[in-house]
Amino acid sequence: MSWPLYLSMLKSHAKMLGGFIYGAVAYIVLIIWIYPSIADMKGFNDMINALPEGMRKLIGMENGINSLADYIAGEFYGMLFLIILMVYVILTATRLMARLVDQGSMAYLLATPNSRIKIAATQASVMITGLGLIIAFTTISGIAASEWLISGYELDVASFITLNVLTFLIFSVIASYCFFISSAFNDEKTALGISAGLTLLFYMLNMAGKLSEETEWLLNFTIFKLYDPIKMINNETDALLMGSLLGVAAVLLFTASIVVFNRRNLPL
Amino acid sequence: MIKVEKLTKRFTPEKGLFDVNFEVKKGEVFGYIGPNGAGKSTTIRHLMGFMEPDDGISSINGLDCWSKSSEVQKRVGYLPGEIVFLEGMTGLEFLKLMQKMRRHRENKKRDELIERFQLDVKTPIRKMSKGMKQKVGIIAAFMHEPDVLILDEPTSGLDPLMQRVFIDLILEEKKNNKTIVMSSHSFQEIERTCDSAGIIKDGRLVALENMHSLRTVQRRVFEVKVKNDTDIESILGSGLQTESVGEKTLHVSVQGNDQEFIQLLSRCEVEHLDTRPQDLEDIFMHYYDRREVGK
Repeated sequence: MSWPLYLSMLKSHAKMLGGFIYGAVAYIVLIIWIYPSIADMKGFNDMINALPEGMRKLIGMENGINSLADYIAGEFYGMLFLIILMVYVILTATRLMARLVDQGSMAYLLATPNSRIKIAATQASVMITGLGLIIAFTTISGIAASEWLISGYELDVASFITLNVLTFLIFSVIASYCFFISSAFNDEKTALGISAGLTLLFYMLNMAGKLSEETEWLLNFTIFKLYDPIKMINNETDALLMGSLLGVAAVLLFTASIVVFNRRNLPL
Repeated sequence: MIKVEKLTKRFTPEKGLFDVNFEVKKGEVFGYIGPNGAGKSTTIRHLMGFMEPDDGISSINGLDCWSKSSEVQKRVGYLPGEIVFLEGMTGLEFLKLMQKMRRHRENKKRDELIERFQLDVKTPIRKMSKGMKQKVGIIAAFMHEPDVLILDEPTSGLDPLMQRVFIDLILEEKKNNKTIVMSSHSFQEIERTCDSAGIIKDGRLVALENMHSLRTVQRRVFEVKVKNDTDIESILGSGLQTESVGEKTLHVSVQGNDQEFIQLLSRCEVEHLDTRPQDLEDIFMHYYDRREVGK
């Protein structure tokens, strides 16, 4: 890690990161704020139950809305937050490595007596820090909003935090393969295209897999199979096992990125 | 100090570097000349450890440029050919980041250089002109007082005044016993600063000579306008390579025989004398031709 580089990278990413944090926080607060009116609406669950099962799975309301936790997990973590994090991770991974190589500014960083390993590790830490900050802010505002903005509905803080930690780990894995791609290519657009294409493919496999029983096997080819916010918040997943596996996968992929970057020829 | 031995990098069978050898001793300034795409930057990328050679080796101060790159970079100042910096910073912030990443705390040289190049360091980099960015790059390369300087087309984008400032800086660093490699496609720039030069074309080093012998093979074309026809005849009749271009106007090529040319002119009534701007091919016809024959 090179601290000066880390701090200056965070600073130059602050604006974009701030935008993502703002978006996520504003949305989670809003969605919690309107929860009482939805929960009190009679017939809402009947309406949901009238939808075909595949459809319900897709919009994250398999069992209708029974609790605040289900609602947050299904409506926010299963939909918008997923997209926010996906976009953030793909963009940032590309910006941190491939863009610098493509534009040539990586030359200045590597011309200092810091090894490539150190530079790449610093960039990876910036990536993880950003992801962590978005999720941390979202967690805190989720807890705060359900505590103070609405009354009469309880959010189990411990399982909410478990959900957030698992979300962080899953997106760390996505970040790590995007970072790997970003480290391996000279062209920013190529790196962005491949990362975005692959992630979108995973996402679509996930949607298709959830639609019906016949397509369920598709889920085996996507990382999003592991991302089931409703199960996570209801503690129906083995969080410890899954969390450690995800953590190991992310570390391995980040290490592989650094190794690839260390060995390859750079057109700087 | 800097050694390049049998350096080979094949991008395609035609493009790349092929068996490049040269050596720069401590305190020497080495000019690396060649047209665009000849392989100047590729060689420099090997020196900086950005590329791994297919064959051969390059070393600085006895350290392999590829495997020991971060060790090498402690003593090296580098100016890339592409001038792009990190986004969202001012010039000074960028220079400070470079200093911190080098753990270099001395500001004296940095401020002196800023003063010298009259750079407004408070300007955000994205608002800078090409010349201003080039100045930032030059300061970043020189400010930590490295022993070795590797400069890829250092004067591109600078106005003539700043080019002079830069050339003075090079001459000064040379006096301080710094070892410098600089690439250029301008012969004039190399001529004023370098002790020796390598000429590269299509990835092959076609000449490696000291400055004196390069000057003797450098071909310059003068445009001479004389007052009367008898002068035209006497110039055409001389042993010099000439070409008539208009009424009483001639192009005379001079290559190492300056004395003869001057003597010839002294016998004529010259109305106007001018040098024609030339490209590299012109200047180094001698070497480029030799390569064509060698094929």
